[in-house]
Amino acid sequence: MSVANFINRSHQDKEGWKYTDLEALLKTAPASIAMNNNIADTGDHPRFVFVNGVFQSKQSRFGAVPSCILMGDLATGYNLVLGEHTCLVTQPIEFVFTADENAPNEINIKLTIEVGANGRLTLLENHLASPTITVLETEIILHASAKFVHGKIIHSGGTHLARSTAQVARGGYYNNFTLIRGTHLTRNEIDVVLQGEEAQAALNGTMLLRGTEHADTTTRITHAAPHCASRQIYKTVLDGKSRGVFQGKIIVAKDAQKTDGYQLSRALLLSDQAEMDAKPELEIYADDVKCSHGSTIGDLDEQAIFYLRSRGLNEAQARALLIEAFVAEMLEEIQIEAWRDIFRAEIERWAQ
Amino acid sequence: MLEIKNLHAAIGNKEILKGIDLTIPSGEVHAIMGPNGSGKSTLSYVLAGRAGYDVTQGSVIFNGKDLLALNTEERAATGVFLAMQYPVEIPGVTNMMFLKSALNAIRKSRGESELDAMQMLKVLRGKAKEIGLSEEMLKRAVNVGFSGGEKKRNEILQMAVLEPLLCLLDETDSGLDIDALKIVADGVNALRSPARSMIVITHYQRLLDYIKPDRVHVLAFGKIRKSGGAELAHELEAKGYADFTEAA
Repeated sequence: MSVANFINRSHQDKEGWKYTDLEALLKTAPASIAMNNNIADTGDHPRFVFVNGVFQSKQSRFGAVPSCILMGDLATGYNLVLGEHTCLVTQPIEFVFTADENAPNEINIKLTIEVGANGRLTLLENHLASPTITVLETEIILHASAKFVHGKIIHSGGTHLARSTAQVARGGYYNNFTLIRGTHLTRNEIDVVLQGEEAQAALNGTMLLRGTEHADTTTRITHAAPHCASRQIYKTVLDGKSRGVFQGKIIVAKDAQKTDGYQLSRALLLSDQAEMDAKPELEIYADDVKCSHGSTIGDLDEQAIFYLRSRGLNEAQARALLIEAFVAEMLEEIQIEAWRDIFRAEIERWAQ
Repeated sequence: MLEIKNLHAAIGNKEILKGIDLTIPSGEVHAIMGPNGSGKSTLSYVLAGRAGYDVTQGSVIFNGKDLLALNTEERAATGVFLAMQYPVEIPGVTNMMFLKSALNAIRKSRGESELDAMQMLKVLRGKAKEIGLSEEMLKRAVNVGFSGGEKKRNEILQMAVLEPLLCLLDETDSGLDIDALKIVADGVNALRSPARSMIVITHYQRLLDYIKPDRVHVLAFGKIRKSGGAELAHELEAKGYADFTEAA
């Protein structure tokens, strides 16, 4: 996909882009951004590095992952295909995306991730500095009882347009956690279809926004088969003149009886000039389902700030602690301990 | 040593404190009793530095410092501690994290080194045990799902950890059954020391059976109307506050 594709889509689906004026936001993108290209890492997990969208074999570390499983190139896209009973990938894999001064105006990346029956994959996408526009298309195919835990951190400074689609077969499980902070504009679309019985999806995320940043998380979960479950929790913290958007749609097909769907969006406004738009939608065609959604928008509790200050914390420390606490509930949803620490550190850095 | 002179305070246009004079020497425990709406909680909030209360006249000197010139956290650093009537629930922040942040903030402001995680754990475990709070409660979010008694005990735990020089106990007895009251009172008594002053605010004499005050003051209609020894509390229990009218 390209920027042009996204612009076309925004024209064709005005309702779905109501809160994100893509063309206007692309025009206001900053000419240059501070490059945070610190890709230092400490672990010994498999780590694949992409610069300007191009896979860098030399900077990567394959670890227990054979190089052959990552195939393709920028022109055709990268395919990460894991076969049936994929026991070989026991460690989380990290994809690091970064850019340098040779970055084109538009970096297009296509990822295809396929996990065979009973396979297991854990992947963290780390989107570091990119001063331009990254367009990321991710196609995910999970076969029967495959499990994919998919983390994503977007702190690239520039513009990030992403669309992920996931097809989850019978008994499969897709878990996505996305943290967005420090981008001019992010549109993160996740479209999941639970195709087989007892398939499950958990989509969670946090948007931390300040200045004139704009972040839009748009999800759609289609329950196409009976006995499937989906759970979504999104937390957004907004300061300055930032704007956050959460649009979450749950579609329950006629045959998808015994569906269990849950969705929650909570936002914390730290400034009078920040704006949050939350639009939950349910489209239910089956009659025996359990679906709920909730949305709250609030500010920091003044009583709690006084309480903390009366115990010696200064106002900035008190606010930071309460912001971290607001997002912390979210961290409980992350199943991998090491990732929880990474996300917690990102949140602390933002709040202080 | 705390010296309050002619303290007037208002919320908006409504004057609540109408000239409080009160001196509390170091090491003494003074009880402030009075009917509802007399200004007891306002006094504690004004001393702790809560926003929304305007001091219109008077002075508060604590250990030689002008308390009213300090913000809330600076007052905490000089040793002021308010045990609240309604402790605030803070979801997502563990008690451990809360106490650690508070103690290190206060140590830092006193020019002492911050404690590392291990040292902190040792201090907190020891103090929690003294107050009768389980280690499990240190791991729970601050006051979330705590019973009334647990919340008050948690306030006393914070007091024990932060080691303040002026303790303001605002209706610490409210909502406590007799067993919880005894535990809280034991915790407070354990903290009595020659360097520490305490103001115990209460509506009822009951708490003062367990925390013996050096002095008792009656606060009604925004002023101290009567002061005396511990026996004054018993007198009030028998006669009520009916003698204290706005004109008196």
